[in-house]
Amino acid sequence: MKQEKIGGSKRRAVNFVTMFGLVVIFAAYMFPFLMVVINSLKQKRDIIKSPFSWLFTIKGLSFDNFVKAFTQMDFPSAFGNSLVITVSATILVTILATMLAYYIVRNNNQISKITFALMVASMIIPFQAIMIPLVSIYGGTLNILNHRVTLIFMHTGFSMSMSVFMFHGFIKENVPMALEEAAYIDGCTHGQTFFKIVMPLLKPVISTMVILNSMAFWNDFLLPSLVLTDKKLLTLPLSTYSFYGTYSADYGTIMAGLLLCVIPILILYIVLQKQIIGGVVAGAVK
Amino acid sequence: MKSSSKGKDFCMFALPGLFCFLAVVILPFLYGVYLTLTDWNGVSNVKNFVGLKNFAGVVKDTQFWMSLLLTFKYVIAVVVFVNVLAFAIAYLLTRGIKGQNFFRAGFFTPNLIGGIVLGYIWQFVFSRVFVNIGESTGWKLFEVSWLSEPNKAFAALVLVSVWQLSGYMILIYVAGFMGLSEDVMEAASIDGASGFAKLKNIIMPLMMSSITICLFLTLSRAFMVYDVNLSLTAGAPYGTTEMAAMHVYEKAFTSRQFGVGQAEALILFIIVACISGLQVYMTKKREVEA
Amino acid sequence: MKRNVAKLAASGLSVVLMTTMLTGCRFGFASDPDDPNEEVKEEPIDTSVDTFSYDSSLNGTKITLLNSKAEIQVALEKMGDIFEEKSGVHVEVMPVTDGDSPYTKVVSLYNSGNPPTLSILDTTDVIALAEEKGEDLTSETWTEEAEEYLTKIDGKVYSFPLCIEGRGLIYNKKVIEDALGEEFVPEAITTLDEFKALLDKLVEAGIEKPVSLAKEDWSLGAHHLQYIYETYDGTSVGAQEIIEEIKAGNLDLQTYQRMNEFLDMFDVLKEYNVAKGDPLGADYDEMAIDLADGKTAFWFNGNWAWPNLSEAGADNEDEYGFLPYFMSDNPEDFFNSQIQGSPSKQIMMDGQMASENEKAAAKEFLNWIVYSEIGQQMLVKTCNLIPPFVNNPYEPSDPLSRDIYEKVQEGKAFNAAAIVPNDHWSVLGAAMQKYLAGRSDREELITTIQKYWSEQE
Repeated sequence: MKQEKIGGSKRRAVNFVTMFGLVVIFAAYMFPFLMVVINSLKQKRDIIKSPFSWLFTIKGLSFDNFVKAFTQMDFPSAFGNSLVITVSATILVTILATMLAYYIVRNNNQISKITFALMVASMIIPFQAIMIPLVSIYGGTLNILNHRVTLIFMHTGFSMSMSVFMFHGFIKENVPMALEEAAYIDGCTHGQTFFKIVMPLLKPVISTMVILNSMAFWNDFLLPSLVLTDKKLLTLPLSTYSFYGTYSADYGTIMAGLLLCVIPILILYIVLQKQIIGGVVAGAVK
Repeated sequence: MKSSSKGKDFCMFALPGLFCFLAVVILPFLYGVYLTLTDWNGVSNVKNFVGLKNFAGVVKDTQFWMSLLLTFKYVIAVVVFVNVLAFAIAYLLTRGIKGQNFFRAGFFTPNLIGGIVLGYIWQFVFSRVFVNIGESTGWKLFEVSWLSEPNKAFAALVLVSVWQLSGYMILIYVAGFMGLSEDVMEAASIDGASGFAKLKNIIMPLMMSSITICLFLTLSRAFMVYDVNLSLTAGAPYGTTEMAAMHVYEKAFTSRQFGVGQAEALILFIIVACISGLQVYMTKKREVEA
Repeated sequence: MKRNVAKLAASGLSVVLMTTMLTGCRFGFASDPDDPNEEVKEEPIDTSVDTFSYDSSLNGTKITLLNSKAEIQVALEKMGDIFEEKSGVHVEVMPVTDGDSPYTKVVSLYNSGNPPTLSILDTTDVIALAEEKGEDLTSETWTEEAEEYLTKIDGKVYSFPLCIEGRGLIYNKKVIEDALGEEFVPEAITTLDEFKALLDKLVEAGIEKPVSLAKEDWSLGAHHLQYIYETYDGTSVGAQEIIEEIKAGNLDLQTYQRMNEFLDMFDVLKEYNVAKGDPLGADYDEMAIDLADGKTAFWFNGNWAWPNLSEAGADNEDEYGFLPYFMSDNPEDFFNSQIQGSPSKQIMMDGQMASENEKAAAKEFLNWIVYSEIGQQMLVKTCNLIPPFVNNPYEPSDPLSRDIYEKVQEGKAFNAAAIVPNDHWSVLGAAMQKYLAGRSDREELITTIQKYWSEQE
């Protein structure tokens, strides 16, 4: 409270109201997660009969659900698969999409225009409309399903349009031609110019897109479920999903499994938050 | 870039990304369009060309048109609520309040989790937690599970979608607000009766590019809603909350009418494309004027 | 500053979670003797006797089994392990999860050029796929052991009946006896009126709403509604006949006797439903708990519900059993004294993409289930299924399966399976939900059913 001495009392009151409002909305936002955390520590009967009760009124509070989830979903293997797929696909899409976006911005020709229009339009194709043809082409004709590489390739392709769209906007507004021209005068090739001059300037938007893409890959369910059927290759969401039986849901284990899935990405998000904010601010200052 | 190396540049910069995109999105899409003209059932090796018969099937499918109508209602509700809420929260967050980074991170958390899972979490909240609260407090609002009454189930769908999507839009709006110059922000933070007018006349036009992106994203996402629909209500009660994307899926796979389902998906795509195109065109126009 | 706090908190939390998980620590309270999460003791499998002859040339072959019965996933994996130990054939068990229908999963696997060698499917799916994709199994010897339970398509057998499943009104005997203070003889109730009288007595004795009624569309659309076909004369052939009549429009459902009788029973269940205030808000897991706790006395379900009941605290020694789905007041009607039991899950073998070796290995696996001492035991004890094969000497141990098993042996079960289109349960399940919620009347429901059938090809 001390630091706010400088502001007027009216300002302080308004700030307090704003703060209060935000805290209330925030609490409402967090409510479902609170329920997940609380219930992940309970037994099934208590979850069903008294989902809202606090931990200490319930007997048999334990981490059993976590142990069960950890072993049943083969956490280490699923985590490894998710990690490999997410990291590779994110790197691949970042490099390919920045290059493609850069090409489109700097070459105002027919190909650029058509490509960009096609990409924007494709962002609204329902995945359901292409999933069977997709599986039929890659499985039936090419027979390359059940490989992590195939999934990485598909993730890259599906996130290409969104990434290009975002990079395109940023390059257009924030990367001055003058810098590149200076580089050409210094004798740089296009490739060198791009990787040494342009890429570093894209850092803010890249960190945003890395977060968005890696989260999408990490959480994706439908596509991996079509591509990977071999148990050894399953990703975290796929293996969590196996807790949903036809006749019953093992709520406690599911919630524990959910938390296990979310924690890694939460940590990553908290760590990288500085980059995102820094990036957004840097972009704003420019 | 110099024109002499045009071809080389294209191959190096554009081709790899373009190839991924074409191979994964466009090729299957076109193949899917071709399939709507056949009587393929999803399994058989035989595909007979049947012309537009599947589209005639779409016309007859009243359930599809009902789900489309419902989708429109849903999209309008979601787009309005998400953007108003996200804009307001982003505005509050960029007024130099303490812990704004923490709040922003928190609001974004629903985006960290996949839609299927979110739907299940909320299904649990609606059908168990709220009912439980209703039982112990006697609140009429929570007496009966929201998911067992058509209108409330629809409201639940909208609520969960708003909850999920707004965090992402907050990020974009916050970035937009931060992109405004100090002077403008100063103007915006002056309180009093003129505050709202200033917001409307000064801030809004400058935020138009963020608004364009957010509207586009919410529109297309809301039209495509499937995960949450499936895991939260699965169309219940008695098929009243089945939205277009889900209907398409059901048609193709549960009812085994693959051609009709694929044709419906195509119609859905065309509608969404038109609306999104129109929206981008209109907001872009305002962006230029501002 | 705040950010660092958040960071710290998150990493702190995850470290705590990780360590507790890895050490398997359980804090707070000592284990409770009545812990409902306690693992059910597994029945030992005697592997000492094995007279089955394995084909050693199949050693090293890999086959896949698509499993659509989620509750036996772990059991099937165990079965696969033992089979591999004995025969050298590796069986990979792939689960179909809740969101997918088994049919969708099989179709997408066929499209991916990578279909399972064996798939556990519903009968209607087998009929849709068999002629194009399935392997003809007519000449397999196990067909003789399950004569009554084979599904024939144009006179040929394409599928292996995995188990018999039965459904009806599950009762908790102890709850009824405690409430009424007298012995409960299930066989004594033979009409809808008598059943209603029993319900009224239970209400008087303090069990306000004695029935649990699931709101799930598969329960309403398949398990309830299909009685109208299956009770036509209690045979699969009869069910098929009546469906053809409805489809062709020769039969007016509004006046079809079984339709109205069925709704009479359904109305009674609806009236005494524990979730009457919010029938579509009923929770499946809660129903199991309510029945085990004695909040209710009846639950309409099948023997597959045992794992839920067991988890809710019921023991193998407790007395649970099935009452028939009473549809009339005539004690002579077969459906008032018999419960429905049929082979609902079938294993189809891929005949299109599988190699000869894989086919031979898959056939050996099926034979092993029917003829080997170990396979017979595992089907009954590990998977907890009711075997349709007459040569299997083992009896299921849980009360629900045991009750079905005994009723089948005593001729108190009728084997009628209606073959309906794949979307029957979801489309008409929705119509039934509407009726259950009181938002449509009989006439509207029946019109919907009639319309559904008239749109079928």
